[in-house]
Amino acid sequence: MGAFSAREKGVAGLLGGVGVLLLIGVVSGALAPAYLLYLVSLSAMYMLLSMGLNVQWGYGGLINFSVAAFFGLGAYGSALLTANSSPIAGNVSPVIALFGGLLLAAVLAVLIGYPTLKLRDDYLAIASLGLAEVVRIFILNENQWTAGSAGLTGIPLFFADWPVLGDLSYPYVFTVGGTAVFYMRQPVINGLLNLVLVAAFVVGVYLFLRRIHRSPWGRVLRTIKTDEDLAETLGKNTFAFKMQAFVIGSLIMALAGVFYTHLVLYVSPPDLQPITTFYVWVAVILGGTGSDRGAMLGGFTIVAIQQGTRFLNDAVQLPIGPAPLRLMLVGLLIILIVRLRPEGILPPERELIWPDAMRGERDE
Amino acid sequence: MAQILQYLANGLVYSSIIILGSIGLSLVYSIADFANFAHGDTMTVGAYGSFVAFGLLGGMGGSLLGLPLGFYVSLLVGMALAAAIAVLTHLAVYEPLDTDSIGLLITSIGVAFVYRASLMGIFGTDFLQYDITRSGPIPFLLDTVGVAITQRDVAIVVSAAVLVGALHFLLQRTTLGRKMRATADNPDLARVSGIRTDRVILVMWVIGSALAAAGGVFLALYSQLDPRIGFGILLVVFAAVIVGGIGSVYGAMLGGLLIGMIHELTPLLGDIGIPIGTAYAPAIAFVIMVAVLLVKPRGIAGDLT
Repeated sequence: MGAFSAREKGVAGLLGGVGVLLLIGVVSGALAPAYLLYLVSLSAMYMLLSMGLNVQWGYGGLINFSVAAFFGLGAYGSALLTANSSPIAGNVSPVIALFGGLLLAAVLAVLIGYPTLKLRDDYLAIASLGLAEVVRIFILNENQWTAGSAGLTGIPLFFADWPVLGDLSYPYVFTVGGTAVFYMRQPVINGLLNLVLVAAFVVGVYLFLRRIHRSPWGRVLRTIKTDEDLAETLGKNTFAFKMQAFVIGSLIMALAGVFYTHLVLYVSPPDLQPITTFYVWVAVILGGTGSDRGAMLGGFTIVAIQQGTRFLNDAVQLPIGPAPLRLMLVGLLIILIVRLRPEGILPPERELIWPDAMRGERDE
Repeated sequence: MAQILQYLANGLVYSSIIILGSIGLSLVYSIADFANFAHGDTMTVGAYGSFVAFGLLGGMGGSLLGLPLGFYVSLLVGMALAAAIAVLTHLAVYEPLDTDSIGLLITSIGVAFVYRASLMGIFGTDFLQYDITRSGPIPFLLDTVGVAITQRDVAIVVSAAVLVGALHFLLQRTTLGRKMRATADNPDLARVSGIRTDRVILVMWVIGSALAAAGGVFLALYSQLDPRIGFGILLVVFAAVIVGGIGSVYGAMLGGLLIGMIHELTPLLGDIGIPIGTAYAPAIAFVIMVAVLLVKPRGIAGDLT
């Protein structure tokens, strides 16, 4: 499919430009390569979160304000299993812990979804935000299980116990015919491995979502979003569909949380604060509700706001600190999007059409 | 027994704060028809406004219920400031929007962030305290019933009661109040009956935000002031509104009383051996809110207006 809209080209050009700038930064030595890898991985993590919310809000119209709770449960689930400081288990292989985190999130998704998905839209928003706070308060206070406000440290890298990847020696030297070509230091290798991991998550989730979005299941969900009564009239069990979308979205958010644990190697209760939820909301509505490519753009934007404000604060003396500035930007962004471009920058277009159908149209 | 009375007394003070917040939230919900997530931060704006005013005015000699008169004046300043900002926000942000109640809800989150970021930028994030010496419990009550209540607590409850009483009078006894009730009940019918509903909506923002500001001021007086207090209490206020029944001012009062009491009665659980600490007080309020939504979505007083 060679045909991209002008807007898509514009966005791609902009992202490409930012990428070139960052590369220049690395080559000139202003930006540490490991830090660039970290930034890209973080963007990809926000993409995952946005895609998760997109399943719920974009496809199904579910106003889920508990993104932070599912992200946090994924992070805490895997951290509690793998960290050597974990008060309950600890030192479990990260791959197994991944499923532990997902399981935890799935259970919570059913527990939160069962009572709240029957509610009206705006009640769902309030109730899910409230229940997310219950999760945060629980993690903050149940020291004997979660280590409380201290958070969890001593988390291994995701590939720590893998056969080859876990045993790399540092600095890792690439050799061709016995002569060293170039070498990489440990942070760069770890950063690369993390990036590969999250890229695999993003690609896998994207392909999965593209498939289900176009399937009959996705069509029913879109009908529910537009007119729930209509879907009921057609004999669809709308509650079941909403629940499925809620659980799938929550699992994707938890996957992002699991990755976050192994990226930052530290989790603590502030990671579950509502602001995380609203960052993801900004990403989704900015990118375009219901659009997975939009969710990806949104992920980049969030990291640009988060990290850009920090750079800006280092570079020039601002009358306002980085944290308030970030909050201000997010707030203004929300207001401006709803006012000026409620459908987002990259609203869903061709995503809903099977590629075969597109081709057929062009042949005529 | 004295312990329970003590919890109830604390509950009354906390309820007063919640009620002041929940009335405005309920008014916006019924007349402007959206869940206003910026309401908590409106409370904070009012609290900072009054804090600054009190710093400028000082005590102004004389005192009432253990609080200097200057405090009451600064309370009014804070209320006026919050009302002005809310009206400006309505005119600049909400009114030009061509969106549904969900779009307004999402916008209000942006508004909340802008309010809070502004306060954080101007005042920083440190805790602030009113420069008013805290007096001990009133000796008479401590001796007779063994309950520690400060003059400050009494001042909060009495002020809240005066404000709520004034609102009740306004709603029931004045033409403006009747217009407000008519608009809340059925905006289209109100408009064809000749009520200028756009003005009623402005009045509603003024009243709701002024009361919210009073709640914020008392919350800051009761504990302390920082830019997060409003958002921190917002969900508890939502719980009160929902328990009382969305869109009902009297329901919001009742819900505020109930949720405030439950919030402050939480230590009782620990006293009788249930291992749920006071940190879970807001969590209990949220769970009750969800339960009410499921069992009785119109709230316990949803049919009163």
